Amino acid sequence: MLTRLSRSPSVRIIGKRVLQAIPVLIGVTLITFCLLNLLPGGTCLSILGVGATRPAVHACDIRLGLDHPFFVRYWNWAFAALHGNFGASLTSGQPVSQILRLRFPVSLELVVYAFIMSVVLSVPVAVLAARKPHGIIDRISIATSMFGLSLPGFVFGLLLILVFAVHLRIFPAVGFQPISAGIFSNIKSLTLPAATLAFALFCAYTRLLRADMVDQIAGEDYIVTARAKGVKYWQILIRHALRNSMFGLITLIGLNLSMLIGGTVLVEQIFGLPGMGQQLLQAVGYRDVIVVQAIVSIIALAVVATALVTDLLYAVLDPRIRYGRPSS
Amino acid sequence: MAALAPDVVPRGAGIDLGGRGIPHAAAFDAGPTRFRRFFRSLELWLPVGILTFIVLVCFLWPVIHTIPAAINGNLLDANLPLFTHSSLYGNHILGTDTLGNDVMSEVLYGGRTSMEVGLGVAVIGFGIGGTLGVIAGYMGGVLEAIVMRILDMFLAFPALVIAITIVTYLGQSELHVIWAIAFFAIPAYARLARATTLRIKDQTFIVASRLSGASDKRILFRHIAPNVAPQLLTFSFLGIGVYIIVEATLSFLGYGLPSNIPSWGKMIANGQIFLSTTPQLVLVPSACLFILIISLNLTSDALRARWGAQ
Repeated sequence: MLTRLSRSPSVRIIGKRVLQAIPVLIGVTLITFCLLNLLPGGTCLSILGVGATRPAVHACDIRLGLDHPFFVRYWNWAFAALHGNFGASLTSGQPVSQILRLRFPVSLELVVYAFIMSVVLSVPVAVLAARKPHGIIDRISIATSMFGLSLPGFVFGLLLILVFAVHLRIFPAVGFQPISAGIFSNIKSLTLPAATLAFALFCAYTRLLRADMVDQIAGEDYIVTARAKGVKYWQILIRHALRNSMFGLITLIGLNLSMLIGGTVLVEQIFGLPGMGQQLLQAVGYRDVIVVQAIVSIIALAVVATALVTDLLYAVLDPRIRYGRPSS
Repeated sequence: MAALAPDVVPRGAGIDLGGRGIPHAAAFDAGPTRFRRFFRSLELWLPVGILTFIVLVCFLWPVIHTIPAAINGNLLDANLPLFTHSSLYGNHILGTDTLGNDVMSEVLYGGRTSMEVGLGVAVIGFGIGGTLGVIAGYMGGVLEAIVMRILDMFLAFPALVIAITIVTYLGQSELHVIWAIAFFAIPAYARLARATTLRIKDQTFIVASRLSGASDKRILFRHIAPNVAPQLLTFSFLGIGVYIIVEATLSFLGYGLPSNIPSWGKMIANGQIFLSTTPQLVLVPSACLFILIISLNLTSDALRARWGAQ
């Protein structure tokens, strides 16, 4: 059984990709650690204040384990982090894992909601636009994409608040309703923030998918064949062109993940959502290195993990990758 | 707008850097009329014109015409409406903000800051990232693998998060903001430079020059660099737009430029509390930001179509 499993190309490709992700993860946490530890403005100095005496700073260094060499500190941190122990906040004394447990679900819900919104909207729009290049829908979609890609996220967020919260009063401007307060009000409180995140992605996805599909329809032989066979135009669009264009879309989704996840910092701040991004900004302000380190690492982990999933999606969609040479 | 589509390549897209040797002529419908040609040239020159206008106004207008200072306004002059023109309060075309600063001056000086930051980041990215990418792509082997893996790691970070951290720890200043954003521009430029170098490296003219005894240095500087540069330049227009957005976002969050430097992001942040009463405090800088960035994006698109680059 085990040998059969290990010979399966899918298992091999998954194993390889997972192994490749490990050095990236080590590198990412190491870079964060470097940044936070080597940048001026020592942790203890910021805890104790500018007037701290040297012995006091030294005692604080020993208490936090900052007197060890750099790599020993990294090793200690990584070892503890692997066991789910990220230390305790320097300002509140709360264990970081406890903070994360409160904050993470909010950010996760926001990211997933925004992601679903952007993909679900962009695919039909791109198909409609590609149906008739230079038609009216196509032109509108191109103009919208250009508009969205040129509008900073926070400006769009404020415009949404101005229109939907201040004038129309459909959605709340700020604040978060947990799921316990009812699924409807929960979703309602997340709609404007998710739309802010989703709009830029929607524009990027629509633009790419539309261009890719137009390309395929104009130049690919299998489209000509399908047309010659008399397949309906809609079927060609959806079953042939869209299916093949999904690769480009998945690549872009993979590339934009860090933008999506990083965007939560901004959106949570504008809409007052109690997520990881808001906590990060607070922690940076207080120079709470332990919390910053934990959150940045978790965010980087999320980016690496989702990049891994998009990588594996290729293999699912394209048998050539699954059954290709093991080294490729 | 039509230049966004890869299927409409304007006439004159002759420089085929892709090296596939297939002219784009097949993509043309009937020869463009003079009218259509004019329209297509407008796709490049309109955004370039707007960009030039913004640069001239932001950098030259305060020099040739006295405008009120953008900071340290008088609270007695606060919240003046648009088009204030009185002997008591002075001339404020766009009114004043809640601190009494002239909005027009803030817009002009803020635009300067935005462009300085965007350009600074692009220059650093172009210089360091471009060099790294070209060398990695040309040399190949272990060097390439190491450089590219390290740069890939930087791309896995959400730029905003690290930029905030860097600026806070280094201290808020324009230079620190530039370096913090450049941290993420370098890998992007390097990747593009490497990809382009890899594509050019095996083309006939490089092989020919190597056969005729050209040194690596000569090939790099005389053959590869001139072919990579246009690609990086096209990318720069797009990039500068992104960097300006990142700078504005940092300043909006309060982790960017210090308080004595005007910035559009900060204007929007300060105005957002008064969104329902005086929306122009948010809308004016937002509109400026939008126009600047859409011009950069459109220029990049038009250049890409013109130079036949991807």
